[in-house]
Amino acid sequence: MLFLNPLLLWFLAAASIPVVIHLLNRRRHKTIHWAAMQFLLKATRESRGKKKLRHFLILACRTLGLAALIFAAARPIVSGLLGWGGGAIDVVVLVLDRSASMEIKPGDGLNSRRQIVLEKVSAAMKNLGSARLVLIDSASGQPQDVPSPEVLAELSSTAATDSSADFATLLTRAAEFLAETPGRAEVWLASDLQTSNWQPENERWAAARASLANLPQKPAVRVLSLSGATAANASIRLLGSRRAADELLVDLEVSRSAESQVAANLPLTTTVNGTRTTETLILPGQSLRFQKRLALPAGSKSGSGWFSIPADGNPRDNAAFFAYGPARPTKSVVVAPPGETADYLALAAAPPGFGNQHTERMDPSQAASLNTAEVSTVLWAAPLPSGAAAEHLSRFLSAGGQVLCFPPGTPPAKPFLESNWGPLTPAENGKYFILKDWNHSDGPLRDGIDGSPLPADRLKAIRRQIPLGDASQLARWEDGEALLTRRIVDRGTLWFLASTPDYTWSNLGDADVLLPLVQRILALGSERFDASYLTTVGSDAAKALPGESRTRLDDFGSPDPANDAYLAGIFKLNDRLLAVNCNAAEDAPEILSREALDAVLTGTGYTLLEQAGQASDPSLSRDVWRAFLIAVLCFFLAEAILCLPKKITVQVIPTLVKAETLKS
Amino acid sequence: MKYDFLDNTLLSRLGSLPIEARAPMLGNVAGKHRSPHRGSSVEFAEYRKYVPGDDTRRLDWKAFARSDRFYIKEFEADTNLRAYFVVDASGSMNFAGRGEAKIQFARRIAAALSYLLVNQGDAAGLSICTDKLHLEVPPSRRAAHLERLFSTLGALTPAGPTGLIHALHTIAEKVSQRAFVVILSDLFTEPAALSDALQHLRYRKHDIAVFHLLDPQELGFEFDRPHRFVDMEDNTALVVEPNLIADEYKAALRDFLTAVRAKCHDAAADYQMVLTDAPLEPLLREFLTARLPKSKH
Repeated sequence: MLFLNPLLLWFLAAASIPVVIHLLNRRRHKTIHWAAMQFLLKATRESRGKKKLRHFLILACRTLGLAALIFAAARPIVSGLLGWGGGAIDVVVLVLDRSASMEIKPGDGLNSRRQIVLEKVSAAMKNLGSARLVLIDSASGQPQDVPSPEVLAELSSTAATDSSADFATLLTRAAEFLAETPGRAEVWLASDLQTSNWQPENERWAAARASLANLPQKPAVRVLSLSGATAANASIRLLGSRRAADELLVDLEVSRSAESQVAANLPLTTTVNGTRTTETLILPGQSLRFQKRLALPAGSKSGSGWFSIPADGNPRDNAAFFAYGPARPTKSVVVAPPGETADYLALAAAPPGFGNQHTERMDPSQAASLNTAEVSTVLWAAPLPSGAAAEHLSRFLSAGGQVLCFPPGTPPAKPFLESNWGPLTPAENGKYFILKDWNHSDGPLRDGIDGSPLPADRLKAIRRQIPLGDASQLARWEDGEALLTRRIVDRGTLWFLASTPDYTWSNLGDADVLLPLVQRILALGSERFDASYLTTVGSDAAKALPGESRTRLDDFGSPDPANDAYLAGIFKLNDRLLAVNCNAAEDAPEILSREALDAVLTGTGYTLLEQAGQASDPSLSRDVWRAFLIAVLCFFLAEAILCLPKKITVQVIPTLVKAETLKS
Repeated sequence: MKYDFLDNTLLSRLGSLPIEARAPMLGNVAGKHRSPHRGSSVEFAEYRKYVPGDDTRRLDWKAFARSDRFYIKEFEADTNLRAYFVVDASGSMNFAGRGEAKIQFARRIAAALSYLLVNQGDAAGLSICTDKLHLEVPPSRRAAHLERLFSTLGALTPAGPTGLIHALHTIAEKVSQRAFVVILSDLFTEPAALSDALQHLRYRKHDIAVFHLLDPQELGFEFDRPHRFVDMEDNTALVVEPNLIADEYKAALRDFLTAVRAKCHDAAADYQMVLTDAPLEPLLREFLTARLPKSKH
């Protein structure tokens, strides 16, 4: 609770007047010599309970009535947002989550969470009177004075964006600002508590908490939770795009609210270089991943477009933007000694009929002269590289290349990037190493885009070499040993497969597994050339370099030019063509738990105002002097009722009647 | 007037009313009160059969003539009355709220009744009790004895705790002959103990009258602010807000009065509750009239 006239609270001392009068009255007693003490003592004993309670209630009513009157005069403002702290606030730092997820609406026909909380903050600031409002929005992260609460919702720095938020950094910024700003301050964190925006494991939280704790005057931290029920929403997300000759292969994912179980038809509008087509998408469950093949105009060197779905609960996740550059062949290198393995790998990397795929065979002894500039993938079926070859491959991996290693069949040698092969292990006579389980949703053995699994269970081996080192396992043999491992090296990936496509090793050469595995890794490798056209909001690639000017090419929605840097869309930065999309984490439904919130804000003494984003709650704060006046009336009415004399019950004392008769 | 508790006008107005005993008395001289013994008054009592040794002068010859049997004719024996005025002189009797002090009212009653008794030839004595039987003036029917009674009454100063119960038991033990015991007290003691004392007196066949003296303020208990109540008997003090306990106080007093009245009734005592602001004459007239034998009305 906050008071607009806190000085009047000094008059709260007046609430003690009834008690003081009571005590003075007790001291100002008159002494009387009394004969009938036995009745007095008995009456005193009997009246200790109920009567004393009544008397104390009367005193309490008088005291509380006076206190409520003074509270009402002090113009109290009450809400979960303002808590019960007294005194005037000098500065309010509003840390506003402007991430895309904040644009979801709590219900059909309502404003977005961001708009609702802005209105409430604006109303609360009006109640606070002369407090200074400083905005730190999640997109820019810079403190900015808000001249008046009325204009808060109209500022471009409070408008919707497609960016993400990093609350650890934002809270640190707030602490840094408050370190230079004297006075009583409060930090209001308005967020939907999306876990991806709070990142509870982020090590920067410790620094943020320390910054707040080191402030000379510790600010009150209020979290305006904007979680809760939302309107029905569907979202579309670009998983990746790859140009193959005159086609653009775009992987998309359409998701909808968790409670949606029934299949639904969703119009999908595709806009490519200004040409718009609409088709109906059947959404069988909560999400659908599919690949869209877009035929590009003949000879098109570059272009852009977007996929969009109709407006719904959150308008920020209804479009997925893409851009493409000139077609380039997919080049790969097979480093293996001549033999069956090298042949199969070359076939898998550039199957007949795949005109834009080229592969080059290289003997391991020449690996030091490997040129990877145009190469997407290196298939390495030889002892692990060392020396200059290892350096070439390391640089290749850092640049986003893919390296798929096959066992050399020789005893373990020097490790490559802390990964190595185990000893050669033959299967027992008459038995095979059989693939037992593999990751169906991730990696090159994942199920097809239509959900059908690869026939990887047909894979049998009689010889193997187990990959060693810190890498994630994507497929395992029956005995639990790794078949396929993945290790991310900067932007690239180092893959280890425990057998070779040689019939003295396994039936990997049957192509059931090898072909899709190699092709998928090739596709990943090719993305490093196409990836320069795709990025996410807030990434380094999306930022304009010095001297670059940003021009928006798409006309989706109604973008605010002032916020171009934080919006998804298709942009031209001088010569660069960029399709900027929302960060995928913005679609993640995970909300920070109360325990996690306690952990990240531990020691700040924060208060959580839940349902701040609900439209049903009209405001974050209310002037409640009327309630206190009603309380005054209630207290004094109760006091009057308690003071009413008891109904006199006539109980005749026979002897008294006689005595009265004698008197008359 | 030498004694402020004597009212000549009152005495002259009440002079025509006799003080009657409700039970036969045992006096030492002839009087106007019934005696348990047969005597030679003009009041016929009964016939009884002659037994050898009876005085033949008391044979009813007319009855012998009618019935041929010897009967002795017996008459009531009239005797005088000896009254004991037991005045409670404990500290509480000094209380004077809206009326005069209870002790003063007791003085007026005792003086008026003793005057009337002596005036009609009966004996009046006085027992003053504080925490014990403090002073006794033996009953006498001489007019000069009244002066002693009055001076004793005038000189008594109430103080200390009440010893009424002990005094009544002592009187019951010491006074062997039937007497008229008049108790003047506020009776601020345990009703059960009072009952025992009254029953003791009744057992000794005394005629008992109780004047229960109360101040109107003790009954009304009306105060407008907190008071520090100091016990007049033992000086213990208690600060209370009278308005808060008035109901409980009145209830306790009501229970006490009811109990006292019941105990007096059980002991066949003539109970009179007296408010100290009430006029004395109607009170005594009522008291005396109620004691008159029915046949004499």
